[in-house]
Amino acid sequence: MKIRKVIVLFAALMLLSCLCLSISVSVVSAHRLHVVHKISEIEIEAYFGGGSPCRDANVTVYDNEGNLYLEGNTDEEGKFRFPPKMGINEYRVVVDAVHMPGHRAEAVINLSQETAGGAAGVMGTEMPLYMRVIAGFGYLTGLAGAALAYTGWKLKKKYENEK
Amino acid sequence: MVHISDGILSLPVLAAGWAITAVLIAVALWWSKRKGSIAEEIPKLSVMTAAFFVASLVHIAVGPTSVHLILCGLVGIMLGILAYPAIFIGLLLQAFLFGHGGVTVLGVNTVDMGIPALVAYGIFKAGNKLTPSKSMTSKASILGALAGGIAVALAVSLTAGMLYTLGEEYAWAIKALILYHIPIIVIEAIIAGSVVAFLARVKPELIGG
Repeated sequence: MKIRKVIVLFAALMLLSCLCLSISVSVVSAHRLHVVHKISEIEIEAYFGGGSPCRDANVTVYDNEGNLYLEGNTDEEGKFRFPPKMGINEYRVVVDAVHMPGHRAEAVINLSQETAGGAAGVMGTEMPLYMRVIAGFGYLTGLAGAALAYTGWKLKKKYENEK
Repeated sequence: MVHISDGILSLPVLAAGWAITAVLIAVALWWSKRKGSIAEEIPKLSVMTAAFFVASLVHIAVGPTSVHLILCGLVGIMLGILAYPAIFIGLLLQAFLFGHGGVTVLGVNTVDMGIPALVAYGIFKAGNKLTPSKSMTSKASILGALAGGIAVALAVSLTAGMLYTLGEEYAWAIKALILYHIPIIVIEAIIAGSVVAFLARVKPELIGG
């Protein structure tokens, strides 16, 4: 008998609290609203030219004073996430591709300068590969042209001297 | 993978790389100037540099990683001693446009890939002299393959040697480097052999510096 009463009371309470909650949603503007934020993760991505991810690479993170902050490895997608340290806005991240000895890259992350959009922009703003290939051919053509122009000028001078 | 990045090697190694590269480029230019005008070599020089430049984009998956073509042997056979400055320019462009290697290690990387090119040329030339009688095409293909393969093997060994200056903790990485490049040695031998054989038949005067 007593137990049943308790259950009924409990159910009633639950119902009441649900009701209160649904009402409180509509009257929330009457209360003070707090918005706080916390950056819980910095994500870095390491990839090779051409876009293939650099997986299982050693990642070392240093703070703005050059002290070792933490170490880890990139995942299958070449990504590595780490929590920022309280009060430190600048990090130097060094990625060492252990499977490709001799391949290393680093980046400086400055939280105070980055907006959410800016952070997304930092990732993957690379000239497309075909454009870089064309650029390379362009440089080579220019170099060859300059060298040919030089030798041509010399030949002309020699010819004029002989005349 | 044979391109070493910035900030890995020690300063004396980097300086030595630059010194050797500077001397060899100067010697190469002086030598070819003495032999005659560089002017007629320039088109071939730029075509081979372009081939070297894009070869590093041809990736072949090996094990957990991928390796790319180097083509230093073929460049050496085709250009002779001028292969050294050609590889220097190719590496410079690769460093800036592809992020392969780096700027401070350019000297070392040019040593790693340029000296094998010169060795490949030496092998090809010596082989040609030693066996004067055989048919041109088959001889060229065998010598080309041999020189191309040896050049890559040497380039990998030189890179491994440079990394070895860092100490013991790189030892296993160096073993991996050598192991992963065995397929590339075979592939480059085939490429160099067939290209040289083709040119020996069609336009033999193009081969050599």
